[in-house]
Amino acid sequence: MKQILKGAGVFALVLAASGAAQADKASDTLNIAFTKELENVDSFYNSAREGVILQRSIWDGLIYRDPYSGEYTGNLATDWTWVDDVTLDLNLREGVTFHNGEPFDADDVVATVNWVADEKNGVKTQRNVNWMKSAEKLEQFKVRIHLKDPFPAAIEYLAGPVSIYPNEYYAKVGPTGMGLNPVGTGPYKVVSVEPGKHFVLEKYENYHKDSPKGQPKIGHLDIRTIPDFNTQAAELFSGGLDWIWQVPPDQAESLGAMGSFTVANESTMRIGYLTFDGAGRTGAGNPLTKKLVRQAISHAIDRKTIVAALLKGNSRVVNSFCFPSQFGCEQDVTTYDYDPQKAKELLAEAGYPDGLEIDFYAYRNREYAEAMLGYLEAVGIKTNFKLLQYSALRELTMKEGVPMSFQTWGSYSINDASASVSQYFKFGSLDTTQDQQIKDWLDVADSSVDPEKRKEYYSKALKRIADEAFWLPLFSYNANYVFTQDLDYAPTTDAIPRFFQMSWK
Amino acid sequence: MTNTTETMNNDVTGPTPGQILWSKILGHRGLMFGSIVLLIIIVMAIFAPLLSPHDPYHQDLMARIIPPVWDARGSWDHILGTDHLGRDYLSRLLYGARISLAIGGVAAIISGVIGTCMGVAAGYFGGRVDNCVTFLINVRLAMPVVLVALAVVAVFGGSLQVVIIVLGLLLWDRFAVVMRSATLQLRSMEYVTAAKAIGCSTKRIIFSEIMPNIANNLIVIVTLEMAHAILLEAALSFLGLGVQPPTPSWGLMVSEGKQMLLFEPWMISIPGVALFILVLAINLLGDGLRDVSAPENRN
Amino acid sequence: MLVYTLKRLGLALLVTLAVSMLSFALLYLSGDPAAAIAGETASASDIEAVRHYYGFDRPWVVQYGEWMFNAIRGDFGESYYFKLPVSQLVSERLSVTMILGVCGISFALLTAVPLGVAAAVRPNSFIDRIALFISVMGQAMPSFWFGLVLIVIFSIKFRILPPSGSDGWQNFVMPTVVLGYYAMPAIMRLTRAGMLDVLGADYVRTARAKGAGEFRVMFKHALRNAIIPVVSLAAVQMGFMLGGSIVVESIFALHGAGYLAWESIGRNDLPTVQALILIFSLFYIVFTFLSDLLNAWLDPRMRVG
Repeated sequence: MKQILKGAGVFALVLAASGAAQADKASDTLNIAFTKELENVDSFYNSAREGVILQRSIWDGLIYRDPYSGEYTGNLATDWTWVDDVTLDLNLREGVTFHNGEPFDADDVVATVNWVADEKNGVKTQRNVNWMKSAEKLEQFKVRIHLKDPFPAAIEYLAGPVSIYPNEYYAKVGPTGMGLNPVGTGPYKVVSVEPGKHFVLEKYENYHKDSPKGQPKIGHLDIRTIPDFNTQAAELFSGGLDWIWQVPPDQAESLGAMGSFTVANESTMRIGYLTFDGAGRTGAGNPLTKKLVRQAISHAIDRKTIVAALLKGNSRVVNSFCFPSQFGCEQDVTTYDYDPQKAKELLAEAGYPDGLEIDFYAYRNREYAEAMLGYLEAVGIKTNFKLLQYSALRELTMKEGVPMSFQTWGSYSINDASASVSQYFKFGSLDTTQDQQIKDWLDVADSSVDPEKRKEYYSKALKRIADEAFWLPLFSYNANYVFTQDLDYAPTTDAIPRFFQMSWK
Repeated sequence: MTNTTETMNNDVTGPTPGQILWSKILGHRGLMFGSIVLLIIIVMAIFAPLLSPHDPYHQDLMARIIPPVWDARGSWDHILGTDHLGRDYLSRLLYGARISLAIGGVAAIISGVIGTCMGVAAGYFGGRVDNCVTFLINVRLAMPVVLVALAVVAVFGGSLQVVIIVLGLLLWDRFAVVMRSATLQLRSMEYVTAAKAIGCSTKRIIFSEIMPNIANNLIVIVTLEMAHAILLEAALSFLGLGVQPPTPSWGLMVSEGKQMLLFEPWMISIPGVALFILVLAINLLGDGLRDVSAPENRN
Repeated sequence: MLVYTLKRLGLALLVTLAVSMLSFALLYLSGDPAAAIAGETASASDIEAVRHYYGFDRPWVVQYGEWMFNAIRGDFGESYYFKLPVSQLVSERLSVTMILGVCGISFALLTAVPLGVAAAVRPNSFIDRIALFISVMGQAMPSFWFGLVLIVIFSIKFRILPPSGSDGWQNFVMPTVVLGYYAMPAIMRLTRAGMLDVLGADYVRTARAKGAGEFRVMFKHALRNAIIPVVSLAAVQMGFMLGGSIVVESIFALHGAGYLAWESIGRNDLPTVQALILIFSLFYIVFTFLSDLLNAWLDPRMRVG
């Protein structure tokens, strides 16, 4: 072995030598690992969680939602008023400059909104921006945003995915240039980008002093993409990394037991659920079009144990198809407790005393799906399990339909039921239920500006989904963050790490 | 490894060819070791239902990741511990032997049939057929196997059948290359030309004159490709695109165990060692067969 | 020699054409690219628009022709995922894979050839057995397992090598060993068999009889002839390595072309996967072409075949 290694060392000498960046508090650099390759840093042209994380640090929105209290405060806007249901006026903050020195004013807001609202420009997540029609400049520091239709969640979106870009720079470089050399007003400015693999950020010294985000504290952020968890952990042990996240539950537990790192766990807005082909797209009269079969499946799976043994942390069983903290997420719905005996009886009643066979699809968390199929097997439901790539499963669902699948949904971290239940039960191509009643109720809830009325109609829809067991909500996810004990950081439920809120102890 | 073969060649008036072969086989340590180990694994696979202490599919989420009996936290109830869903590791390992052998065996047979047909046809008919086959071999060799296998499995979804078929369709090149040159040599042999002269049909010549004489080579390559297929399946499973759960494939067990590599190293080691021993045994068997059947290569 | 070269070149071009068609066809079947590009939140009409925009609604022959025409000029289109030219993306990533491949094959040759020669000079000796042991291990040990074991030993236990990244030469030590180890057994066996053959041949015996020194016999007469098939094998292995470094690249977080290919398959990033399959194949085709020429030059008998 030694011989081999010596040999390898000799060839490797041919390569340029360079020292690895020194990590830690002493050099004021936080070394961070991403698991997935980010396609484009331009926040309007990626749909990855990693992109959202960078977006919050590099850019600012007009409004800011405090992740701990949930309150909205002004960021690039100082205050705002609704002129009517579809017109929003905002006063802008003065004295803010972009990282490249360009001063911020109404022109930037107008240019950004008009660019992203135009469908032709192909913003990746249309939903984030397609509620806006246009923006107009009223004064140098006052803008008006026109909506297409009444959209109650507008403020939430302005506080989230809608980042404001420098108009002159963006006109010049476009999404590709912005992706390679991002420029914003945010607390961190980008030093270098190697697409997909390496991002270096540094504290923006001129960050506007009154920002509700607070001032950035850590000097440098060095973010590398390392796909394999074991490699990430090895880097953490050897000091090459200071902060990792999305650590699987068992590993987080073991890392915590070592005592040399801080392990923080926080619930996220992502929920897991089973879809059933209630509309009969895989064959009219297939077992899943029967309410009794869907209820049997719901009773067969021990969600509590799955949460306790596999997801751990702050995960919870969910019974309603939305994340509990979302506006309108009715909690008082029919629940299906673990009861294999009852499941068998329901199956017999539905006409399957000897059990049945179902194709079961999933795209992630193979182990959770595997545990579920173990439970189904126990009540006599044999499953043919198929794990597909996300895009392949989605396509199959849209084109031919799938009998049953394990899916997850993160609601874009939007704290409103319109981002969860309304996404899937309004006759879209992924609506496997196609229930007119639910669609009508959700239409009312989504477009009303009266909070009480919205609540009432979301409640109706969610109750019906649970009663009919159209889909089975399973559990909420949680995220584990493991980092050096020198770091002061408390994760938030939206699973968006905000680097500007981290500091050295 | 070669000492037995060397002494045999000079012996003209000794034992019958059959006896010589047997003493060669028995005297070849690698071959003996390989066949005995492989035999044990095959027996384990066949009698898995009798040997397994538990149902390999029975999960118990409250008894997850129990270490093997030699660990202080282990118990005799689960001799090799339990996996991430609380299923008995030993039982899964025993059933997994079936899957790995099936993948290796069937993939090697599929590719063997394809490769041998092409190779023999090329070698026997020569000319255009040969050019055509050589071209196909070149095309096949130029395609990056792992990448193409990954792409195909990603499209069709991983399942035992898909993985076996994909590997079977990708691994025929070595069969074709070796069978072609072996047939080429035989074609000009006297007994083949004689058979042609007395008007034997092509079919008859191929099946009764050529095939028996290339069978040795064939078996050696079958073993090599079997080992190759087993390792490739493990690599596909490692990259997340192999056999689907809850099937207890060793490759899948390795990839599941990988998650806990740094904390519970036994989880990846047990199936990893099993995989290593199986592939090692098959390779030793193949090498041994080559030594025994073709002594001229060794001198 | 010229005729042989032209013949070989013709074959290489034909193979390239066939591979390009296969890789194009393979991915044409791999689901709806329009749906993949449109992303998670697209509606059916969005997908239609994307399909038309990218031209997926045209006959495949037209699409293939256009793709091939552009590919010859080095233009592989734009990555659906990164929205960057594929050629730029690939050339960035390819350098890592090339370094890895060159190091890997050098490592394999520099360890396997001496071992093979030593094993052939003293068959059945201790060194022969060691060589056999190493090669048997190399064939049976899964590469991901070997890689992870190295990380545990050298990065976590002794902390002398970084587990990931591609910043300095230290990053390439372990990947080189892992990748090179898998090419070793075949090269070593072939060197050993070749040397055994050659050492028994008449001209070596003659050289010995004429009183040539043992060293001279070994290197001038024996190794020179025994190495010919090894050259072809090394070329083949090099081609395999570039396409087979996926596992190694993902373990050591080397952002090379193999890893890019694997990720692109998952993301349904058609142009990138097509380009990479074609490029990996081209490497193989070029390497084998060159090695055939080299062989023909070294050994005139081969020019006939």
